[in-house]
Amino acid sequence: MSVQSPAPQKKPWFLALLSSLDGIFVYLTAGISTREFRAMLRGDAPGRPNTRLTPHADAFLLHIKPSYYHESVTRFTHTYRLGLLSTYLFLFETITGIILMIWYAPTPERAYVDMIRLLNNVPFGQLMRDLHRIGAELMVGIVTLHMVRTYLTGSYKPPREFTWLTGVLLLVITLFLSFSGYLLPWDQLAFWAVTIGTSMAEAVPPVFVGEIINLLARGAPDIGASGLLRFYLLHVLFLPLLLILFFFVHYYKVVLYGISLPAQEEEVGEDTANRVPANRRVYYLPEVLLDEGTFLLAVTAIITAVTVFLFQAPLEHIANPQQTPFHTVAPWYFYWLQGLLKIADKMWAGVIIPGVLLVMLMAIPYLDRNPSRRGADRRVATISGIVAGVLMIILSWMGTPAYAVQGAPALEVVEKLMPEEKVGISRKIGYKHIPLGTYDTRELITTDDAEFAKLLDEFVHLLEVWEEKAPDFNDPWGLLTVTQDQANLKLLRWEITWISNAGTEEYFKQDYWLHKDSYYWEQYGRKKFGVPEFLEMQNGG
Amino acid sequence: MRSLYVRSFGSKLIWGLVSSFVIVVCVGLTAQTEETRMEIQTKNWEGRGIENGAVIFANNCATCHGQQGQGLQGVAPALNSRYFFTRRLGDVGQDGVMTLSNYVYLTVAAGRPSKDNSQWANRMVPWSSQFGGPLRGDQVVDVVAYVMNFEETALQQTASEDPFQPFLDVAKPPEFQNIGISADAEWTPVQLAVTSVLPMGDRDPDYLFGALACSGCHKLDEPQAPSSMGESGPNFGTIHELGTYRPEAAADPAAYLKESIVSPDAFRVEGYDDAMPDDFASRMTEEEIDRLVQWLLDPNRVIHTRDAEGNIIDE
Repeated sequence: MSVQSPAPQKKPWFLALLSSLDGIFVYLTAGISTREFRAMLRGDAPGRPNTRLTPHADAFLLHIKPSYYHESVTRFTHTYRLGLLSTYLFLFETITGIILMIWYAPTPERAYVDMIRLLNNVPFGQLMRDLHRIGAELMVGIVTLHMVRTYLTGSYKPPREFTWLTGVLLLVITLFLSFSGYLLPWDQLAFWAVTIGTSMAEAVPPVFVGEIINLLARGAPDIGASGLLRFYLLHVLFLPLLLILFFFVHYYKVVLYGISLPAQEEEVGEDTANRVPANRRVYYLPEVLLDEGTFLLAVTAIITAVTVFLFQAPLEHIANPQQTPFHTVAPWYFYWLQGLLKIADKMWAGVIIPGVLLVMLMAIPYLDRNPSRRGADRRVATISGIVAGVLMIILSWMGTPAYAVQGAPALEVVEKLMPEEKVGISRKIGYKHIPLGTYDTRELITTDDAEFAKLLDEFVHLLEVWEEKAPDFNDPWGLLTVTQDQANLKLLRWEITWISNAGTEEYFKQDYWLHKDSYYWEQYGRKKFGVPEFLEMQNGG
Repeated sequence: MRSLYVRSFGSKLIWGLVSSFVIVVCVGLTAQTEETRMEIQTKNWEGRGIENGAVIFANNCATCHGQQGQGLQGVAPALNSRYFFTRRLGDVGQDGVMTLSNYVYLTVAAGRPSKDNSQWANRMVPWSSQFGGPLRGDQVVDVVAYVMNFEETALQQTASEDPFQPFLDVAKPPEFQNIGISADAEWTPVQLAVTSVLPMGDRDPDYLFGALACSGCHKLDEPQAPSSMGESGPNFGTIHELGTYRPEAAADPAAYLKESIVSPDAFRVEGYDDAMPDDFASRMTEEEIDRLVQWLLDPNRVIHTRDAEGNIIDE
């Protein structure tokens, strides 16, 4: 038996058009009609059944996200959106990184030249490099803060032990990602920081294993073409893939168990992710999506503004394996390791202690059997966490040249005024503020230039400081001779004479050149490219 | 939702709009200043390249070519020279073929292989690691930038200020003689090199050793031994044991040394060619030569630090 279907009603053409447009909209949004979309914008509650859940079933990216959250975890002060931000920064680094790859070849002959070409000849090249750099530093910081937050709220406790473990692995991968990118500009900063870093691997016992690891990382006994290529591949291929793998493991667990609720609302071991009371559900579409969207937009705006006005990724002299800079330092997030290396031998500080720390960090959920997540019940955990944090900060300080590293006093003085790398006061005030002449610290020097007067004052002051500080540095006096070596090129000759404890006169000399066009941005505190007074400074200086 | 960090849809919208606006303004501002920024950065890195080149020049080139690029008679030509910047390229038949900067680059990188009819004591050796020298490619580029930066001061020189010395290696056929002179036809350099800043007669031996570029070939701090032979001339670290050089001279080392300075071809240590200039008798007084010999034979000889004018500054 057949049913006669009613004759199709003829629609006016514009209604037919609207309905087909609506069809396209539903197709593009994976299940949201224009009517539903307008309802979302108005802030209407979802209907029953909730058609806003369709995209979570149909769309790949949304099926990864939970369709609703517990109201308590959507509070900003509960998670500070740090996990989301870490993921976003990875995406941010991927995009800026791929753009940078267009102008980069990982060979010692080209890497540094490519950096300069990027700065000189590529529109937005410097912005991309600065964004990539600031994003990398930020990502290390945010991932660490994410871990600190999770620790302090006890969110690693059952059932989320494995989530924590993969999180620690993600932190390690993030550190290595940042570190492997460090070498790529092929400048002195990069070369020596990575030389220090890889030399720690050499301490892995027994000796031949350490040597093999070091050899594998560097590609040769010293970092060269092979080492650069290896770090490049680690940075752009291996580590990102590894990070993506562990990210999905991590995030799957986050969705599976839900974000931990505030301690007073959730007992350890309780499955709150699947039992969110209907009246406490906050749907991802549209509330949380809008939240996350505006948050990430705001963060992007802050990063962009800071980069455009304040931040510039450093680029020192080209890598020179024959010349170790005066104070070589690891990247800031490895200062604590450098600090450890100053007080313990290489094997302990470089391998055993970091290794044990890492294993302990991953094992925290399995070691901490305290069944409560409430702050009042976790005093020991909280206090030991804070102590560990303070220890890290102290060790990091010990890792800086401020602690237990001291060169010859005369060299220290000159390095402060005009360092081999970086800026120093002399380059900060620049070519036009350093008048020709001979300036003796034993005499009262008068100069019309206030900036230069400050430099000379500092010269005198530093000599006094080091005379007091160093036992073998008596009655020092300094001489600064500024001559015009070439057109637009001044030679600054720093000379320091002092009496040693043996009563002999000692002498130190260091020549540095300064070109009129050399532009050390720190001169101006913030970038002023294109601003009229800056151009004047360039032309008239 | 009260518990969300941004409460109403309206405030979210404002946050989003303000953030987007900030991003657009920042990127727009960058776009507007990008041309200028690239220009400034280009000048910046050129400037820093010249700074790097200055260090390399001072460490490797200044011994022979002079701290100010003024050259040293009998050792190396002047670079801070109007002749060099206006005529040299034409004299070697390369005008219109290559730029002076390329000529300098090639010379620094690969050295100057030919020394026929040349008055210079040394061949210029290859400096680039590509040709077995000690400098990396980027260092050669930087030192060339430094040498080329002499141009501004060199072009301001009058004929008598130019430390130019006629090159004996250029025997130009008549048909090439005008090449390179067109823009500067009236100008002819006349003066020979400024050999040393201090006048003849009362100069200290340690000063002479540097100013007459003995130090270019003879190293004072290295011994002359089978394992450590000076490259262009014998090392002087052990010169007080003169037997090292010529066994029969041990009896009267001073006489032998003086003979070597005044007429270097009288005896040559095996393994060295006739690179040593033979005009030292005319460039030093008898007394200066005697004092130089005594100084060289003294194992505790003193070398003072001096400024560009040759005045002692370490006392």
